[in-house]
Amino acid sequence: MNAATTTRYLHALAHTGGSPELLPARRMALARFLAHGLPTTREEDWKYTSLDYPERAEWHTPKGAVAAPAGEVRAENYPGITLHLNNGRFAAPHAHSLAAHADSPLAARYLGQLARSASLAQINSALWQDGLWLHVPAGQRTLPLFVIHNTSETDAMLHLRHLLILEANAEAVLIEHYRSLPDIPYWNNLVTEIVLGAGARLTHIVLTEESATATHTGQTVVQQARDSRYHAVSVNLGGRLLRHDTWINLNEAGAECQLDGLFIADARRHIDQHLHVEHAAPHTASRQTWRGIAAGRGRGIFDSRVVVQAGALKADAQQSSRNLLLSPHAEIDVKPQLEIYADDVKCSHGATVGQLDEAEIFYLRSRGINAATARALLLRGFADEALGLLKNTGLADWLEPHITAALPQQSEHAT
Amino acid sequence: MLHIENLHVAIGDKPILSGINLDVRAGEVHAIMGPNGSGKSTLAQVLAGREGYTVTQGSVRYLDQDLLALEPEQRARAGVFLAFQYPLEIPGVANVQLLRTALNSARLAHGEAELDAMDFLDSVKSKLALLGMDESFLYRAVNEGFSGGEKKRNEILQMAVLEPRLAILDETDSGLDIDALKIVAHGVNALKHPDRAVILVTHYQRLLNYIVPDHVHVLAGGRIVRSGDASLALELEDKGYGWLTPETQAEARP
Repeated sequence: MNAATTTRYLHALAHTGGSPELLPARRMALARFLAHGLPTTREEDWKYTSLDYPERAEWHTPKGAVAAPAGEVRAENYPGITLHLNNGRFAAPHAHSLAAHADSPLAARYLGQLARSASLAQINSALWQDGLWLHVPAGQRTLPLFVIHNTSETDAMLHLRHLLILEANAEAVLIEHYRSLPDIPYWNNLVTEIVLGAGARLTHIVLTEESATATHTGQTVVQQARDSRYHAVSVNLGGRLLRHDTWINLNEAGAECQLDGLFIADARRHIDQHLHVEHAAPHTASRQTWRGIAAGRGRGIFDSRVVVQAGALKADAQQSSRNLLLSPHAEIDVKPQLEIYADDVKCSHGATVGQLDEAEIFYLRSRGINAATARALLLRGFADEALGLLKNTGLADWLEPHITAALPQQSEHAT
Repeated sequence: MLHIENLHVAIGDKPILSGINLDVRAGEVHAIMGPNGSGKSTLAQVLAGREGYTVTQGSVRYLDQDLLALEPEQRARAGVFLAFQYPLEIPGVANVQLLRTALNSARLAHGEAELDAMDFLDSVKSKLALLGMDESFLYRAVNEGFSGGEKKRNEILQMAVLEPRLAILDETDSGLDIDALKIVAHGVNALKHPDRAVILVTHYQRLLNYIVPDHVHVLAGGRIVRSGDASLALELEDKGYGWLTPETQAEARP
């Protein structure tokens, strides 16, 4: 990391603000980050994704909150609470602001304890300004939270920090929509830490629909206690470069997670998804259904590692990753990995990269449907396979136009 | 309605059909029978417009149009329907979506208004009942996880919704137990109409007990080697195909 870059981050820390209590931890995180720098393609985990651009770019901490933009996209009549974070900040002090709770004993207990020591998490720990705080006490159920993250500041770097704590048998639904002004460059680097107590249930839906020049890096770390359930759907439709790592720790018996997702990498988008599930206890279950579409000069990476530790008897792990290449210049790399150190487990994975099936297209055409519509129908059906979790959430209709707009147009004579 | 003249079809360099002549008039039911590899399915696929087949000679007229010049979807909208021998599974696409898109494609092509979801549902319910299918079939992905019999019934459901002028059933009877066979036959018989014609492609006579053909043709070696009425099918059931194949005939000639 060169001197100019180092100075930039030191300067950023000086302008980050926040609770003085956290300053020593922030300084330590920054020192760790500066010692390692951003990940490079020499690291196995990063070999497909270069952070050269965010390394070189002259980012600054956002200048402050702005008013919510007009014309919000949200679910009609969705029975929840809508929150806005603009350029990483709430417009006014808010009950769900992490900054407002950072000094509380509960937050202090978990903040920074879950995210891995990766340098992206370190820089976030050093520079985060705000993010979502969600604490659901034992046995309670909150109204769904619909959080719109909007970015409108060119060359800003946003280190959003979310902390979600669901105590025993608590239930919550969180929907996050990352969006921005079109065509502005910025860097979103977020960390989400989630703690699920025994029997807690969280449904977490993330739609990423950012500017065509945005860089988005992030990681989500989930700790799951006995019989807890984490259901997540990631829909990645935008941005220039997106890299997200999800770490799930199924720490106690009966914990279950479902990690589904869809990405559409068209134009020159680069979307890199890493999933890691640790089955650390017996009778734990994980499910993954991912669908990827690459068109134009788009690039998609799906890297998923499931580890069944010794002693995680009767673990059940199922992975499905199907991917479509719609142009000769598009590329998708799929890397499913199962590491099993226990006996008596049920594990399977399937990964494919292919094209739309000509036989299926003919089948639809033989029913009077023209070729372009047939292709669009198949693409849509392909995408929908990853969205099964949305069926009973009332969100499918909300998501519909976003996906329709993102799917590559099918011409009558495309081959 | 359908006039096939001297049709020669090849896959790559390999000739499959070598001079088919066939006339199908409105209101008629034709059965095309023959041993495996005789070209029955190729004929069905070529009529529906499947790519990968080369028509090297001959012509196909359908309702005064050059059928072979039409795209598969144009043929379908003009009233040609092929019930597939192996219906495809289309994950993620609901049956109802396929049916409505298909029906509305035809309606638009004929200058009619599209049916909205409610009107469509009303019209499709009677067809479901005809085939003894539960409404839940509509919301399942097309053929995904369907049993063999359910897939074939689903083909006939599509046919019932699209109400084709010329229905071609490619081995629709294969893999069906007797109850499913009766249901499928009932669905086809319900569609019979003086304006419509049916071509049944089948290996066995069994289906013809339930859908009685006006004409039976035996295809062997890419040619129709014998035509007759429904009794020909019974004769085949008795004697098999051996006595009609070209090699046997060649040997029998003096």
